[in-house]
Amino acid sequence: MTDQPDVLAQVSTALVARAAAASNTVVAIRLGYERHLTGLVWQSDIVVTSEQSLPQRDEFELVAAGGTVVTAAVAGRDPSTNIALLRLATPLSAPVNGAGEAQTGALALAIGADGTGGVSARLGLVNLAGPEWHSMRGGLIDRRIVLDLALARREEGGPVFDAAGGLLGLSTFGPRGQVIVIPTATIARIVPQLAKDGHIARGWLGVALQAVAVPDALRESAGQSSGLMVMSVIDDGPAARAGLVAGDIMLSVDGTSTQRWRKVARLFGADSIGRKADIRLIRSGQVITVQTTITERHAA
Amino acid sequence: MSEAAAQLVLAQRLRVAVCVADARRRNLLGRVVAEAGHLVVDGDEMADVVLADGEAPRGETRPVVMLGGADTDRAGMLSRDADARQIDAAIRAVAAGLIVRAPDAIESGFGAINEPDGHALLTPRELDVLTALAEGLTNKAIARRLTISLHTVKFHLESLFRKLGARTRTEAVAKASERRRSETITL
Repeated sequence: MTDQPDVLAQVSTALVARAAAASNTVVAIRLGYERHLTGLVWQSDIVVTSEQSLPQRDEFELVAAGGTVVTAAVAGRDPSTNIALLRLATPLSAPVNGAGEAQTGALALAIGADGTGGVSARLGLVNLAGPEWHSMRGGLIDRRIVLDLALARREEGGPVFDAAGGLLGLSTFGPRGQVIVIPTATIARIVPQLAKDGHIARGWLGVALQAVAVPDALRESAGQSSGLMVMSVIDDGPAARAGLVAGDIMLSVDGTSTQRWRKVARLFGADSIGRKADIRLIRSGQVITVQTTITERHAA
Repeated sequence: MSEAAAQLVLAQRLRVAVCVADARRRNLLGRVVAEAGHLVVDGDEMADVVLADGEAPRGETRPVVMLGGADTDRAGMLSRDADARQIDAAIRAVAAGLIVRAPDAIESGFGAINEPDGHALLTPRELDVLTALAEGLTNKAIARRLTISLHTVKFHLESLFRKLGARTRTEAVAKASERRRSETITL
């Protein structure tokens, strides 16, 4: 060896420094005996985490850097973007992290809380950095970021950094155990609304739908080859009040074809609440139109 | 499988450590394991298999059967509410060096709305046939229920099998229910 340290050692030393520097960005959210989830310290008094893995409780004990235990109240949850917000009883020193830029093939460092005030680290590549996407629960996620690293259950909800130390977002599990990132931009957009109202307002019809092929005989009058069949109607919801029943095939909502789910999902933002919507549908072989009034969706 | 491992499976009694934090659940699972004819041992003792829920003990090197959780590296993965028969079968299988996965064990995770392939979408009639299929009805009984000919039932079944990529009736029902679970959207 020459006196010049080799590249691999330099990378390793830099990663050690990054992991140590990240210790004040994470907290362990205690779920039970020796079980926890990781939270990301967003502001001095606000922690965000993965909504899908946070039990339905009002209050949690958090273990911050160095082992300090603080209590936090759940201040809001949004299943549509998978973000839950906890408000700390005692503020922590807030880290300053600029937003990172996700690029396919770039290095990503995921940090988890170890439960005693320290951190655990995971290194991998950004397996895929794609455009915005809509979750199954109707939320808009600003970018599709998939990581190729392994993550333990207890590390979910922690920060993911790029090589420059920029914050890509918080880690969570997608389908089939895939590790994905809820981007910083999405957290920044959702946190103020969650902090204010405790939930994200969204329009609601009260139906569960599944895509079906329109029967051949009805394609011409329907003007499209697929639609969304009503599988169930929630009692006393807007759809029920408008007389929708299981078996109806929705063709369009206010002129937007249900062949494009994403476009339909976009019609149900906060501004849709209270608006009348015309639903064109197939019932007993006839194409008819019914009018509903979109109401606000409460906790999923 | 090694000879020693083969003997292990055939043995009536395996040593099972139940690593579950909640005392009541630990007792319950201990009873399930004991009733299946195994010996429940402490976590530190010699054990052939570890049964755990949520999160496996760190650094555990013995085969683990997990009940729920997203720790997909373990030999056995069952859902949190797996029944006694499944737990016993999984314990014996992982002791023999096999990997066990229950189809519903891996938690679904935070996913995207899928825009399904238009050609593979089922028609409302095919969904009716599928419902009847799931109830175990014969072709004749399906024809009677839907008041269609036996020939038409066969026609719908062929189309269902093709769209779902299934070869048997059971497979068609399983694939359709998986599709319904991942593709149902709520508005």
